Amino acid sequence: MPYAMKVALRSLWRERWINLLSILTIAMGLLVLTLIVLFMYNLNLFTKRLPERFSVVAYLKEGISEQDTQEIIASLKKHRSVEKVTYTSKAEALRELKASMKSADYILEGLNENPLPASIEIRLKREVVGPESVKSFVSDIRKIPGMEDIQYGEKFLVSLHSLKTGVQTAGLIITVIMAAGIIFICYSTVKILFYRRREEIETLKLLGATKRFIRLPFLVEGGVIGAAGGGISLIFILAFYAIVVMQLTATAPLFGAVVFPQRILACVPGAGFFLGIAGAFIAIGRIKF
Amino acid sequence: MIHFDNVSKYYDTNTAIRNITLSFEKGELAFITGPSGAGKTTLLKLIYAAELPDSGSVSVADWQTDRLDGSTIPLLRRNTGIVFQDFRLLDNMTVFDNVALSLRVRNVPERNVKEEVLDALKMVNLRHKTDSFPPALSGGEQQRVVIARAIIGEPTILLADEPTGNLDADTAAGIMNIVREINAKGTTILIATHNRDLFKNSGKRVIRLDAGSLVGEARG
Repeated sequence: MPYAMKVALRSLWRERWINLLSILTIAMGLLVLTLIVLFMYNLNLFTKRLPERFSVVAYLKEGISEQDTQEIIASLKKHRSVEKVTYTSKAEALRELKASMKSADYILEGLNENPLPASIEIRLKREVVGPESVKSFVSDIRKIPGMEDIQYGEKFLVSLHSLKTGVQTAGLIITVIMAAGIIFICYSTVKILFYRRREEIETLKLLGATKRFIRLPFLVEGGVIGAAGGGISLIFILAFYAIVVMQLTATAPLFGAVVFPQRILACVPGAGFFLGIAGAFIAIGRIKF
Repeated sequence: MIHFDNVSKYYDTNTAIRNITLSFEKGELAFITGPSGAGKTTLLKLIYAAELPDSGSVSVADWQTDRLDGSTIPLLRRNTGIVFQDFRLLDNMTVFDNVALSLRVRNVPERNVKEEVLDALKMVNLRHKTDSFPPALSGGEQQRVVIARAIIGEPTILLADEPTGNLDADTAAGIMNIVREINAKGTTILIATHNRDLFKNSGKRVIRLDAGSLVGEARG
């Protein structure tokens, strides 16, 4: 075993309580950090999938002719923002409504005429689904003669967009703060170890040790503390997934869509390792002879 | 080998070394003596660059100590075995590991470390204390560990600050025999000491310091 590793492991064991405390603190920090990253990842994934489900519904005026309807459909298909157009006639709309109200279809029994309008469901191209572009598209098609009303989840779209931007900004800020916090914990731990071993370091210098020889065990210690914190954090995250997310999925199926990608989870101990080394590197500072 | 050129060193307002010009030849064994506070320890520290001169210059082999940077100071020190007055043994390491430290900082392969450390400990009669920790040793034993750590790796210069300060007369004589053996191999040795018995009738050069100044030079 290389000497630096041996010295580092010996010091880790000798100062095990302070190191354990640092490891657990780092684990908590990385846990929060990883959950934020996973939340942002899932939110991003959700907003990316949104265009597949998002649609604008255009209701046509009562009594519009078949020819006018076909013209409207043709002009919509030609629009650069449109991916797909699905026409639903008045009769189809009523059939669908009856089918969806199977157990309460008596409500519709008293109707003498079909009150539902014909409609066109418009799927937009993925890149167009955003608050401003959808608004602009809707104002474009509103000008088409024969349009009665146009509906889409405007508030939802705006809220989701704001939420996404807000969460991303907040997530970034929290990520930076948490990463700085983890570096600081490693910095403090290694600084304490460094002070406790200053006599030893002085002796090493006088015996002819190079800066690298002196630094290396501390960097190994910082790395091990960070990686161990990352490892414990990973266990917490998997436990969180197993206990919280899977339990919630049973009662709220929405949580079934939550993903914990392996490639992000695999980075957690590595992130701890590098943050630990960064903290140790800052703690040691410049070695003067 | 070692040259002091009009060197002065001050600690705040106290003069530790005053205008000293002095040379030591390669392979020389010399003693530096004088009362406490005469500047003996500072003179040795100037050689291994633990202190730098405030004026004048100190040259050791091809190095001028005040011109060394962070990467060359370790090279100078690896060529210099030092017996510290305050030992500088690491209490949490065994005798073996304390002595081995001198080799490990030089990146000597671990397979060679064991043999060399055991040889050095045998030389100072501490082969049986390999696994002991310094606090469990007597002052004399600790001093011998320091000597073993200083001579291991055959440095070109050996600096000893009161190397027999804690030893009885017989052990001190034993240590001086070791020192003479090492010197016979061509190592330049400087010993700072109060103990006149060490240099009496040695026929070696004795440099006397007082209040930081060179006050005399004679043969022991």
